[in-house]
Amino acid sequence: MAVEVVMPKLGWNMEQGHVVEWLKHDGDVVQTGEAIFTVETDKALTDVEALESGVLRIPADTPGIGEDVPIGAVLAYVVRPDEAASFEQAAISAAMGGDVGGSSAQALEHDATVMSGELVTSVGNVPGGQVPVSTAPAASPRACRVAAELGVEWSKVRGSGRTGRIVERDVRAAAETAQRSADSEKTPVTPVRRLIGQRMVDSARTVAAVTLTTDADATELVRLRTQMKTALAKTGGTVPAYHDLLTRLTALALLEHPELNASLDGDQIVRHPSVHMGIAVETERALLVPVIREVPGKSVQQIAVESARLIEQARAGAVAADDLRGSTFTISNLGMYGIDAFTPIINLPECAILGMGRIASRPVVVDEATEAVAVRKMMALSLTFDHRVVDGATAARFLQRVVEFVVQPVLWMIR
Amino acid sequence: MRELTYTAAAREGLAEEMARDSTVFVVGEGVGTRGGNFNTTVGLFDLYGPERLRDTPISERGFTGLCTGAAMTGTRPVVDYMFIDFALDALGELINQTAKIQYMSDGRLKMPIVLRACMGLGNSAATHHSGSYYPLFTHLPGFRVVVPATPRDAKGLLKTSIRCDDPVIFLEHRSLLGSKGAVPEEEYLIPFGQAAIAREGKDISLVAISSMLPKALEAANTLAGEGVQVEVIDPRTLAPLDIDTILRSVHKTGRLLVADETFAPCAIGAEIAAQVMVRAFDDLDAPVHRLNGAHVPAPYSAPLEAAIVPNVRAIEQAIRDLLAE
Amino acid sequence: MTPQTAETESARRHSKDELLAFYRQMLEIRRCEEQLARAYQQGLIPGACHTYVGQEAIATGVCARLRTDDTVYSTHRGHGHALAKGVPPRELIAELFGKITGCSHGRGGSMHLFAPELGMLGTSGIVGPSILMAAGAGYSFHLLRTDRVSVAFFGDGAVNNGAFHEGMNMAAAWELPVLFVCENNQFATEVPFATVTRNASVASRGPAYGLPGVEVDGNDVVAVYEAAGEAVRRARSGGGPTLLECKTYRTRAHSEGMRDDGYRTREEVAAWKERCPIKLLQERMLAAGIAGEGDFAAIESSVAAVVADAYEFAQASPWPDAATATDHLFSVPEGATRA
Repeated sequence: MAVEVVMPKLGWNMEQGHVVEWLKHDGDVVQTGEAIFTVETDKALTDVEALESGVLRIPADTPGIGEDVPIGAVLAYVVRPDEAASFEQAAISAAMGGDVGGSSAQALEHDATVMSGELVTSVGNVPGGQVPVSTAPAASPRACRVAAELGVEWSKVRGSGRTGRIVERDVRAAAETAQRSADSEKTPVTPVRRLIGQRMVDSARTVAAVTLTTDADATELVRLRTQMKTALAKTGGTVPAYHDLLTRLTALALLEHPELNASLDGDQIVRHPSVHMGIAVETERALLVPVIREVPGKSVQQIAVESARLIEQARAGAVAADDLRGSTFTISNLGMYGIDAFTPIINLPECAILGMGRIASRPVVVDEATEAVAVRKMMALSLTFDHRVVDGATAARFLQRVVEFVVQPVLWMIR
Repeated sequence: MRELTYTAAAREGLAEEMARDSTVFVVGEGVGTRGGNFNTTVGLFDLYGPERLRDTPISERGFTGLCTGAAMTGTRPVVDYMFIDFALDALGELINQTAKIQYMSDGRLKMPIVLRACMGLGNSAATHHSGSYYPLFTHLPGFRVVVPATPRDAKGLLKTSIRCDDPVIFLEHRSLLGSKGAVPEEEYLIPFGQAAIAREGKDISLVAISSMLPKALEAANTLAGEGVQVEVIDPRTLAPLDIDTILRSVHKTGRLLVADETFAPCAIGAEIAAQVMVRAFDDLDAPVHRLNGAHVPAPYSAPLEAAIVPNVRAIEQAIRDLLAE
Repeated sequence: MTPQTAETESARRHSKDELLAFYRQMLEIRRCEEQLARAYQQGLIPGACHTYVGQEAIATGVCARLRTDDTVYSTHRGHGHALAKGVPPRELIAELFGKITGCSHGRGGSMHLFAPELGMLGTSGIVGPSILMAAGAGYSFHLLRTDRVSVAFFGDGAVNNGAFHEGMNMAAAWELPVLFVCENNQFATEVPFATVTRNASVASRGPAYGLPGVEVDGNDVVAVYEAAGEAVRRARSGGGPTLLECKTYRTRAHSEGMRDDGYRTREEVAAWKERCPIKLLQERMLAAGIAGEGDFAAIESSVAAVVADAYEFAQASPWPDAATATDHLFSVPEGATRA
């Protein structure tokens, strides 16, 4: 009995998803527990495993890669080796034909005179009823032999033969790929990287991006953090990192400048009621952006604890799908790499992103009148905003407020 | 090296054998003063006269049986049928007598007879002058079947055929008769059962029978431009068949196409495919393909005649189709 | 009954030894055929067996004119030709039994008897080819500048076959040293000759092709001998072919085991048995005073012994080795190259 393979529900509020990659192909033998395809839900990619062992049959009209389908939609079947999936049973019956006439007559009659170059040379065969059609993966004898010689598992190779047959060139290509991966340091583009790359491209293409940069005197912020560090040393709590401080103060600035906490939805600009901050995190796998929800309602301490947890989870590849979605604004920190200003790419569907650069001691003019110079802790801030949603002045005013909060942290408490 | 036409090369071979062995004689319609409908005996009547260049009445069965009797009693006849289609009248003699005498006499009688004819389609000769029919003879025990495709091979193989003590069916495709090629000055013979590699290649093996050889070579040239190296094999004799050369090629390339003007059913392509399946199954990367002429009698009108014969384009496409398998 | 003067006259043209040799040969053929008929009934002969009983004078008379290096091509009813050409009775009977000691080494049986060393180039299961192949041998003999001759034996059934027409024509056109001997026993299996042709005279067809056609009484060995002698002399001297029609009759069935009634009357058969060639010769020789009863009795017992010995020999002979079944298809074994 054929078993349906469906789009699974992977998140608490997942309603639909799409396949990003088939890991097994039509005709492959699959075992229970073997991953057969990858589903994308926001920025999380999940491999889906087979629940039955057998032969995987993917209909020709299965939803395409990237095509969203509701959860529960049938994508494929797992059948026993000797049975056909229901979608093709009808096709086989039609092709074979029970009687002498009809489509089987085509194979009967020899096409006597044809155009040059299209000679048909069939013998006058007599139809003898149904001929069994094998559905298992087929490899040419030569391919099997070469696979044995090269140590390639031919059943895992994709066939390029006319009937999907695995032929020698496929086996050799698989061996070479394995060899190349063994030799060099190149790795294939992972689905995650491909996905993120695609999203970056989409953002770059659709957004009218403008980046404003400025320097903020973070001397007071640094002092504040030092005080936190000292105080927390006694209790042993998580010391807020600079991105935690920026998360808090940016969220507060957003409350005053809600235009920057919005999304473009078709023709509508949707202002979000709350600020959920996405923190861009570099992991081995790719760039992930875990989200801290309801930032205005959380203390810096709470933010620090949460962000530390999320970052650790992201780095371990264990962040939950829900924690990767729902941000209304994103902060990206490249300060630890010695970067000053940069042009962060907006994390759609948000309308702006704040890039943090390093905090470095630099001589600055502290008194315009006397032109007195002092060494201060300066931090570069880069704000990329979507000019379709926000004006330059609005964005600039917001950035100004962020700078004010950086320069005078006390303002956070009295706003 | 000098160049001769296929006809001239074969005739030179016949002349040499007739000079060497006075028991060799030619029988057929118009082989005497006329020199043969296809110029097979031009100049020989003046040398050897009517007894060794014997003009016959239209009695194919008759002179086939007569030559069979002669071959049993010390002489070496070359029966020149002109068109292989005419030999069909003699099938009873050929199959029941000529091919069986050695076996029936348990080897005490030999049958040194050459049965020579022009075969194949072309020039709107239509269905009574366009046959190949060689599969009849490759199927039955007792015949050698020789199908040279080049002038050099025509001469060397005709000499071997005349010296052979077995019945030899020697077929010359009409489209090859005027073709020119290098022919050595010094004497040489070509043994039966030895195929020639006309072109080396690593991607696909193409066995080309007789008139298919020049077309196959042209197709191979075209495919070389597409980065495909075709190995073209000329079997030269179909019985005995040099299957080992074909097997070695299949071992190298994994793909085999047999191109042959005659009909597909039970022809040499089917035989080669069956043998390759048994002996080189694990060398095959794809099923053996055959490209044959259409399974119909030969029509007269030029576009119809062209439509039933594999041409260069058809061979090229067949190569591509096989590579896609 | 006193034989005609002409026949005693013809007998006196030949020596006693010659005539007794004819007698012996015909009797040997007769006794062999009778033995084979018995063996057939015993189930010792697996294939067909077409006996020559009644026609012995023709093989005897013709072959008495032939040298060992002359060649004979025969039909499905060819035991008599094989024996008359010199094949020993042992080898004939062993061949029909399928033994290795048969003249064809068990390969051929009744209808494919070969003894090339004796010029016996085959009986045949197909009607017609003997005519063509004999012409071919004649062509060889001419080309090789020998005075050898070739003989084709065939029945009335062959004269309406294309091979007869084409063979006669070529032999005459090229003046080949061939003797075409038609043994007209008046039936092709069960079909009377007269019902399938408007020209019931085989001999008359010869001149239509430009060669002499001679009709003789096929049951008169001396007549056959004399007619054959003339034809052979002509062929050897470059005079070309002759068509010899020998009128005769077979008194047994077409093939052993087949019915022998329904297409001819018992009276007809009985009448022809009275014209048994062996009996006729004996009567003639006795009437002419050329030989006595004792001569014939001696030959009788001698022949009986030979045939009995041949039978024993055939019975005791071994079978061919099955491993040799594919030998000699070609002049050299398959796979051997020929330069």
